[in-house]
Amino acid sequence: MIMENVGLAFGEILHLKTLAFMMVGVAAGLMAGAIPGFTIAMAVVLTLPFTFGMPATQGLATMVSVLVGGLSGGLMAGILTGIPGTPSSVATTFDGHPMAKKGRPGLALGIGVWSSFAGGTISAVLLVTLAPQLARIGLEFQPWDYFMLVMFALTITASLAGKHLVKGLIAGALGLFVRTIGEDEAVGMARFDFGTEALLQGFDFIAVLIGLFAFSQLLTDVRDPVNAHRSLAERSDAKVRIEHMGAIREIAKRWTIVLRSSLIGVFTGILPGAGGSVANILAYDQAKKASKHPEKFGTGIPDGIIAPESSNNAVEGGALIVLMALGIPGDVTTAVMLGALLIHDVIPSPTFIAEEPVLAYSIFIAFFMANFMMLGMQSVMLRVFVLVTRVRMYMLASIILGFCAIGVFAINNVLLDVWTLLWFGILGLTMRHFGFPLAPMILGVVLGNIAELNLARAMAITTDISPFFLRPWAMFFCIVAFFSAAFPVFQEHRGTKVWTLFYMPLACFATSVPLFLMGGIPRPVLACILIALGAWTLWKRWRSGWTLPKAEGPLLVEG
Amino acid sequence: MTRINRDAVVAIVLLLFCGVMFWASFEIRQPDYGVLMPSTWPRIIIGLMAFLSCIYLVQSLRLTKDLGDADPSSPSAPSGGGFGGWFRHWRNPIYCFALFFGYLASMPYLGMLLSGISFVFLLCTVLGGWDGKKPLIHLAIAVIAVGGMWSLFTYGLGVLLPSGALFDNL
Repeated sequence: MIMENVGLAFGEILHLKTLAFMMVGVAAGLMAGAIPGFTIAMAVVLTLPFTFGMPATQGLATMVSVLVGGLSGGLMAGILTGIPGTPSSVATTFDGHPMAKKGRPGLALGIGVWSSFAGGTISAVLLVTLAPQLARIGLEFQPWDYFMLVMFALTITASLAGKHLVKGLIAGALGLFVRTIGEDEAVGMARFDFGTEALLQGFDFIAVLIGLFAFSQLLTDVRDPVNAHRSLAERSDAKVRIEHMGAIREIAKRWTIVLRSSLIGVFTGILPGAGGSVANILAYDQAKKASKHPEKFGTGIPDGIIAPESSNNAVEGGALIVLMALGIPGDVTTAVMLGALLIHDVIPSPTFIAEEPVLAYSIFIAFFMANFMMLGMQSVMLRVFVLVTRVRMYMLASIILGFCAIGVFAINNVLLDVWTLLWFGILGLTMRHFGFPLAPMILGVVLGNIAELNLARAMAITTDISPFFLRPWAMFFCIVAFFSAAFPVFQEHRGTKVWTLFYMPLACFATSVPLFLMGGIPRPVLACILIALGAWTLWKRWRSGWTLPKAEGPLLVEG
Repeated sequence: MTRINRDAVVAIVLLLFCGVMFWASFEIRQPDYGVLMPSTWPRIIIGLMAFLSCIYLVQSLRLTKDLGDADPSSPSAPSGGGFGGWFRHWRNPIYCFALFFGYLASMPYLGMLLSGISFVFLLCTVLGGWDGKKPLIHLAIAVIAVGGMWSLFTYGLGVLLPSGALFDNL
């Protein structure tokens, strides 16, 4: 049955038109990822309007290709100019740029490209194998669990704002609120329309996403007149050739780094909110800690390129696992992917893979194949990148703002959506200026309906609110949400306040409770492991005289 | 205005927003059926947002008390100079918003193609300058970029973009 679905999915993807769109998608993603200031999420958001007219498989395959291209594009700018193209490739510049400056830009690019390919392929394999298993677990979820899962996703995303946790939570709540404006989906009552026809229709959430994210990002890029006139041309080398064979040899010698970093990437992707910006730093840090020569990191060694590049490409595989299996986006890019699925009348849920196997496997295969395309297209796009870097930022911003308007209009053929784009562009810029993270708001906008729908379903079953806290899965998400919200405070006070000694053990003990309540064999076993881990941590604290060193290494903060 | 005071002002604005929206939630009609009233979920969110805004206000006031003056970590605060300084700091985004506003206002009359080309040309020129051959380059960029995108949507994807009252009448 699985092989039959895989075969059918291959048939859908191996269509000349689909492959052509995927190639264009990878190229566009590589370009968007390579230009500092243009994020992967922005590229995926802007691709969405182009996919409306396409069949679901074709549209989603195109978007997946943009995503994969974007993840790998950041390394070009990072290595050649020292300016990371995206937050996901910040750590790549630590060793990539020094290696390029030492006269080996081709090798640095080759290592980056092949590490990206390896990370993407490993995560694609895990996506295909883990997503159906996670979907089976998802079938156990009831409305209470789903509601708490949404709250968990919002909380953990907000917690990545670090010291600005409250601002992150406010942004998440604002996103949920924006989604309530207009007609109530359940009973059709007007909400917050203030008597206007425009507000009665509600805001199209794609227009909201593009406004909040892309529009405000472009305005941030051109705010400074000096930056607006800047181009990268004077700092990039037009005569670089990627050294493929040398790179493969270097990576083969360090396959453990590739594997470890890819697993870090997949795990980070599974966590809602923690995207490539966190994964690449974590993987770099782990590679440095595990190295016999940590002092060489930062001087231009292959290990320092392999670790971040394999991890940042593996992230989206992890995020897609959760999206495909549970229908919950983990970050802005998967939130847009969810939007794309909804536009094509596909509602991701635990039953999605079982009900729409061909489409689901098409997405898996597209993700897999896009990695191969990325590998083939890097050399070509490197030349285009050098040309694009000669264009001034203000020109790019003006053109893309023009594209935004056309793309947003095309969603529903309604001018009101373009006005929405403008208003939310202003809101996004204001929020950025005042230090409010946008990711929680975007997730709030996307997940608002899912939360309300599940709340309504839960209340229709019983008006008792205790299942929101006492059902095992709901309790699990509640506990994890609490500890993830407290994590930035823990990081800040680690080693200086007594309570931080007990944070990790307490988190382990508390999380084990719902796992015990779930019954069966694997979950109580996992609960026992958590209890053992908590006890071991307590023992370690006792051995060290109830002291805890201050936080070291990268902080888990949104890039 | 220091950054810390600014945070307090933002928190107060958020609280006012919550107040207005909570008041507006009483305008939502309640049907005789269903368990979850249409106003319940928005009120939960508004309540949560008001609670968080209170924490934000207290935090910002405490920080003001602790630090006394401006937070030097402010990423992009205007460097004084009254309204002139503020305008210089925000000049480019204001131009973008104003031109985008004009673009949308003119679209029903000029259509997507012409207003789009005008918008990209004017924005490029306002942000990039008028000197030398720049206006010509900007015009070429605007025509090629918007014209190409317009053609792709109109002929490639079959999307009907507004042609504009001006051209409809011709």
